[in-house]
Amino acid sequence: MTAEPQSEDFQQVERGYVQVIRVRTLLSWLPLVIGALILDRAALDGWTVQGALPIAIALFALISTAAAPPRIWQRLRYRLHPALLQVLRGWLFHTDTIVPFVRVQHIDVTRGPWDKLFGTATLVVHTAGTHNSIVTLPGLSPERAGEIRELIRGHIRSDLE
Amino acid sequence: MSEVALSADEAPPERLHPLMLVSGLGGSLRGVAGGYAGIGYLAATGRLDTALILGALLLVGAVVSLLVYWRRFTFRVGTDELRIDSGLISRTHRSIPFDRVQDVDITQGPLQRLLGLASVTFDTGASGGSKEEGALNGIALARAHALRDHVRARRGAEPATTAALEEQARPLFAMGLKRVLTAGVFNFSLAIFAGLFGLTQTMGDVIGFDPFERRFWIDLLANAGPLTGFVQDHRFGAAFAGLALLILLGLATGIARTLARDFRFRLDRTGTGLRRRRGLLTLTDVTLPLRRVQAALILTGPVRERFGWRELKLQSLAQDQGGSGDHQVAPLARDEELQPILAELGWRFPEGPLQPVSKAYVWTFCLLLLPVLPIALVQAAVLPPLGAFTLAALGLLVIARWLGWRRTAYALGDEQLLVRGGWWRRRTLLLPLRNVQSVDLAENFIDRRFGIVGIRIGLAGGSGFSAHSIPALPREKASQVRAALLSRFL
Repeated sequence: MTAEPQSEDFQQVERGYVQVIRVRTLLSWLPLVIGALILDRAALDGWTVQGALPIAIALFALISTAAAPPRIWQRLRYRLHPALLQVLRGWLFHTDTIVPFVRVQHIDVTRGPWDKLFGTATLVVHTAGTHNSIVTLPGLSPERAGEIRELIRGHIRSDLE
Repeated sequence: MSEVALSADEAPPERLHPLMLVSGLGGSLRGVAGGYAGIGYLAATGRLDTALILGALLLVGAVVSLLVYWRRFTFRVGTDELRIDSGLISRTHRSIPFDRVQDVDITQGPLQRLLGLASVTFDTGASGGSKEEGALNGIALARAHALRDHVRARRGAEPATTAALEEQARPLFAMGLKRVLTAGVFNFSLAIFAGLFGLTQTMGDVIGFDPFERRFWIDLLANAGPLTGFVQDHRFGAAFAGLALLILLGLATGIARTLARDFRFRLDRTGTGLRRRRGLLTLTDVTLPLRRVQAALILTGPVRERFGWRELKLQSLAQDQGGSGDHQVAPLARDEELQPILAELGWRFPEGPLQPVSKAYVWTFCLLLLPVLPIALVQAAVLPPLGAFTLAALGLLVIARWLGWRRTAYALGDEQLLVRGGWWRRRTLLLPLRNVQSVDLAENFIDRRFGIVGIRIGLAGGSGFSAHSIPALPREKASQVRAALLSRFL
């Protein structure tokens, strides 16, 4: 396996998922920007640098909202082996997860409000155990998520033993 | 029990033993700890009658709530399942199918032992948190044994009664008093200070002094003039004595805790699993079915290893008592004492030499610490002692990482994976490949420059905090290891 798998075998998720990440990134920055604004008004009143902090943070938020999502989307790939699901994800922190179908305990397909807006869905695969037991594959089209779910469901065994 | 199948609905409802009202009182009085702080505060501020009224109210409240709990708690034992109905306002009807019960744990607190009672917990292997509701807190000991026999008989294929089980049981490991005391020495703990600190922080105002404040000692010494002179004359002696006292307290805490937990530790091989009994005041009796064991952990430390001591824990689907996750099956044992226990699992150590991991394990860590270096240098310029301290801490961290790297190694066999790691907390993981749930390869932006990848292995059970991983392998090697780990699924 190479660092940037270009292989045909790996499939990319829906392009619409970029927008989902974008909205999420923006929303995650929002509290910080608001916090900086309040701090700026309350504590730094009358300082010469007043206004610099919220502007800097807002700028940082905008840049990361613009730059990160396409890269995260680019890295998010998955591959269905005959009996395994492989998911590559992460931009700065790469993870490459393999889950054997027979290990899956149950499967969720979830759609949040942003997923609905941009036509994506998230496949959540649960294995037994407490560590590393939830593997998510976001950004699939709802139909594709359903297909994968049916595929894995055929392999699930009722008990762990 | 009965010959005819009996559904839980038809079974006669049973209550907890009435004496449970006595033994359970301690627990419900512990539950209102916040109330005591209030009483203490009131008493200390001179409102003694209000304090007494509050105390009486708390006591009455505890007794009444326990009475209500007892009155509204019934359980029914059917042939196939246990039904528990509990709760005053929001009723809970829980049914536990015996097929799903891994085993029945019996615990006896000190008061329960005096009264001949026991608490029974049904371990279904579900993730923790809901254990309280699968428990019968306080039934007659004989009834507890009968219940366990019933569950075992239901699961068949093994001797049903406790008596027959005793006969067939084969002792695997036991600890005498001397061994328990030795284990206590290694459980050296300064937790008592943390406890004291917490207590004085919350109650300091009430009890009127705080030994973690300077003023406490100044006042104390002011009242003891000759002693002050003596201490100041023998500064080194005093410091030494203080240190000795600290060590002594740490040892005493460790020994007391270990003695209470591991007294008369014994591990037996029973029909399908391992049975562990231990405890000084609170007796516990836990069975761990062998086929539920997911991995074995051998733990030791630099000092313990020098004396040849190891600790063995088994990771299982069910959680051990006390929430630690892994089941302790040998708190302090020699290598040759561990062998029979591991042999029962039927696992072999992989053959061949251990493979080391990449030295980048140390370098990536150094790079991560790099941002702290300028801070340390600035500190050294402004405030030399602080700077020296930070630099020394950085150096120690790197040395610890290097020592850890020297010990980190793995071996991959046909059936088992062995991972050794850690310098201070030395752990060796033995893991059958068939128990692997998922495998991750993980790398961050620093690792990528060095071309190394970490392998994380998902396993069922365990505490959730103990990730099993092999750090820092060259990418190609990591892919090979992963392929081997997953070969049985391909």
